[in-house]
Amino acid sequence: MQATFRALTDSLVPSTRRIGYESPINITDMGVHEYLIYGLDHYIAIQEQLHHITLPLAYPTAIMLDEAATQLVNTGRAQASPQIQFPGGGMFSRLSREDRIQTLSALENLAFDLYLLPSPFQNNGGLIKHVIDALNRFAMFGYYSEWPAYGTTRLYPPDDRRLEFFPWGWQQVGYPGVSLGYRDFRGMLIEYEEVKAKEVD
Amino acid sequence: MKTDPDVIVIGAGGGGPVIAKELGELGIRVLVLEAGPWYGNKNWPNPNENRGEEKESSNPNDLDGALYRKQITRLENDMNDFVSGKFRWGSADRRRGPWYRNIPDPTILWQTAGIGGGTIHYYANSLRAFPHAIDNEWPINYADLIPYYEKVEKTLPVEFAPTTSKEALFYYAAEQSGFSLNKTLDVTSSGYRPQPNAILPPNEHLMDPNYSMEEISHMEGCTLSGHCGQGCPYGPTYEKMAKRSTNVSYVPLAMKTGNVTFRPNTFVTKVLTENDVKRGKRAVGIQVRDTWTGETEELRAKVVVMAAGCIETPRLWLNSELPHNPWVGRGLTNHYMDMVTGTFDEETLTEIIGSPSINPFVGHTSGARLDYPGLGMIENIGESPGISAQTLFAFSEYGYNSLGESNQEMWESRGRLVGSELEEAMKGYRRTLTLSVITDDEVQFHNRVELDPHVKDEHGAIPLVHYTPSEKSKMRREQLVKIATDMLRKAGAKEIHRSDLPPNYYIHLQSTMRMGYVVDTSCEAYQVERLYIADNSADYNSLGGPNPTLTTQALATRTAEHLANKYF
Ligand SMILES: Cc1cc2nc3c(=O)[nH]c(=O)nc-3n(C[C@H](O)[C@H](O)[C@H](O)COP(=O)(O)OP(=O)(O)OC[C@H]3O[C@@H](n4cnc5c(N)ncnc54)[C@H](O)[C@@H]3O)c2cc1C
Ligand code: SF4
Repeated sequence: MQATFRALTDSLVPSTRRIGYESPINITDMGVHEYLIYGLDHYIAIQEQLHHITLPLAYPTAIMLDEAATQLVNTGRAQASPQIQFPGGGMFSRLSREDRIQTLSALENLAFDLYLLPSPFQNNGGLIKHVIDALNRFAMFGYYSEWPAYGTTRLYPPDDRRLEFFPWGWQQVGYPGVSLGYRDFRGMLIEYEEVKAKEVD
Repeated sequence: MKTDPDVIVIGAGGGGPVIAKELGELGIRVLVLEAGPWYGNKNWPNPNENRGEEKESSNPNDLDGALYRKQITRLENDMNDFVSGKFRWGSADRRRGPWYRNIPDPTILWQTAGIGGGTIHYYANSLRAFPHAIDNEWPINYADLIPYYEKVEKTLPVEFAPTTSKEALFYYAAEQSGFSLNKTLDVTSSGYRPQPNAILPPNEHLMDPNYSMEEISHMEGCTLSGHCGQGCPYGPTYEKMAKRSTNVSYVPLAMKTGNVTFRPNTFVTKVLTENDVKRGKRAVGIQVRDTWTGETEELRAKVVVMAAGCIETPRLWLNSELPHNPWVGRGLTNHYMDMVTGTFDEETLTEIIGSPSINPFVGHTSGARLDYPGLGMIENIGESPGISAQTLFAFSEYGYNSLGESNQEMWESRGRLVGSELEEAMKGYRRTLTLSVITDDEVQFHNRVELDPHVKDEHGAIPLVHYTPSEKSKMRREQLVKIATDMLRKAGAKEIHRSDLPPNYYIHLQSTMRMGYVVDTSCEAYQVERLYIADNSADYNSLGGPNPTLTTQALATRTAEHLANKYF
């Protein structure tokens, strides 16, 4: 499962980063795939009879990606590479980046046999579309927010996480992070009292 | 509260605290129940970790600005993560998952549980409706609303947004596209203007280097920090924070009346009614569940006000098995939004705004707007990088840019960007101006909130949400996208990206318990006496496009008068 999610984030977010003079940081070090797994496994909380349960979605999602990839390969819409880039991964992780994106696109367009998918996705087009979209959003929010910078505390309960360094994503795009304020006041174009007074005239 | 309150209000978001404060001032005793946590209240020093010693709070001395600043970290993942953020639709305990809604489509449904509700993360744009969208449509007139708009504008208070780099560029772009400044609060023709925002004007010493930013951030007035969406903990005290979310404006005012108590971490699961032989059904109380302990309890009052928002108010009606009304949960609108982002080069920017970057994260998150009655509106948005990447480049009904047709005429890219494309786009972040397209969305019966027949959570059947835009809404959105693209192009943007957002993007939810169908003109339910609504769901339509909260607050102010006159 980890390998599948590594392959997924590898196709969605920028792959390796060179920041300043430091050596390149691989996105696996940023742990964004773990962010996705955490998000998916905490996404759906429901009541079953007397029990309040959380329906883990990460594992069935990984199976779904592999199943869809297999169907694409079998129908000649994608090609599996003989090289193993993500050890332990299934068919999805053996596709090129482009073909992984094709797989996501095919899933979101429900362009294959939904019957072959694991529960809760089996024949559940709405949930498939919802979750495929969420994979994209989670990957980008995970990558460009401060989450990777929680470092060794990333997977702790939210209130126990501590920032260990300045977030890479923020550094890359030039976002200064938490700010007390900025001295960029260029005046007021109009003011409330002035507009109200004009209306009374 | 030791004895039964006169009025119970369900939900402390955009509308609830407003009606509570107005009723409290009239000497009516109010209990407000809120499903989420309370940030900045001494009774809950660790609101996400444990239940705390107290159950409720009615003393303004419990409010603590320093505590608020500590909790509102302004870090986008800590604050805004939909699964585990402090501002999420879920219980105070973030170790647990959010409360689930079934929306079988690509979706962002952005609501927050907590004292302040959706106003803790909102951008504080406080707009009056377009008069044309009220007159001859709603069962009340625009003129009926004006005194209430004025009262709320004074109370929050509302002021036009200051200009920072991104607003300066927005005004330039609007001018280049042939629009002119519209100096008004009541919009009847198209034009641009600063957003009327519920944000205190910038601190008078902001530009004076003799004052440190740390000092200024503890003084009164906006510091242009750009964290509106992450919550705003800048000001001398809790009730003087720059952004006027209800938690820091109406909630303290309500507490100061001495008649209003707020109880967080309390989910209302049922509205209780009794049958009166002569007058039919009337509300007599509610059932609640403590979100920490799971304990349930019944509470009684003379009047019940639902202010749980556009999803939960109809859900609660349906789960309470209140009388059937075909319009309950129906007519959902969401301003069918889109985003268009222009990236500029340094020279162009230097020429127009005198600096080589825009820095979208500076200033009010949304400070400038273009009103276009008949179509809707366009506003600027400057969010933090994670939120920007997620909305602009990850969420699209177009699919992946790389799989789409090349040779798009209007935009350099469209839809989702991944890998190196994404990297390239985000590299330009500091030189981007993002325009949000907000459509005058037509009400349709088939757009709805209903109960999921199969799935329950600890509060009963969960909401199932369905929305597809009408042909008219689609057409209007396309026209607005064209105008926004044109503005960016004429201002000199080098690259323009269209997100092409999916229809299920919920920032402005409205009109699921419409006036004239579910509630009367005083916002009392037709079928249940003593049951009122004071949130966005009571809107008859989507106001022509303007952001909804001020109208909800004006209506709540008005409803308080009607309610008090009738029953007290
Ligand atoms: C990113 C963003 C920016 C926005 N910016 C603006 C803006 O600038 N201007 C604007 O006008 N609007 C803005 N909005 C929309 C704004 O947030 C909503 O219009 C406003 O919050 C709606 O108020 P409401 O009272 O209808 O619902 P809410 O604010 O959602 O309040 C409902 C409250 O009820 C509570 N609740 C729900 N069910 C129960 C229950 N069963 N028991 C107890 N409590 C319950 C909820 O926890 C919540 O606190 C923005 C929204 C987003 C997502
Ligand atoms: S920009 Fe927003 S968050 Fe920052 S001080 Fe002003 S109102 Fe508060």
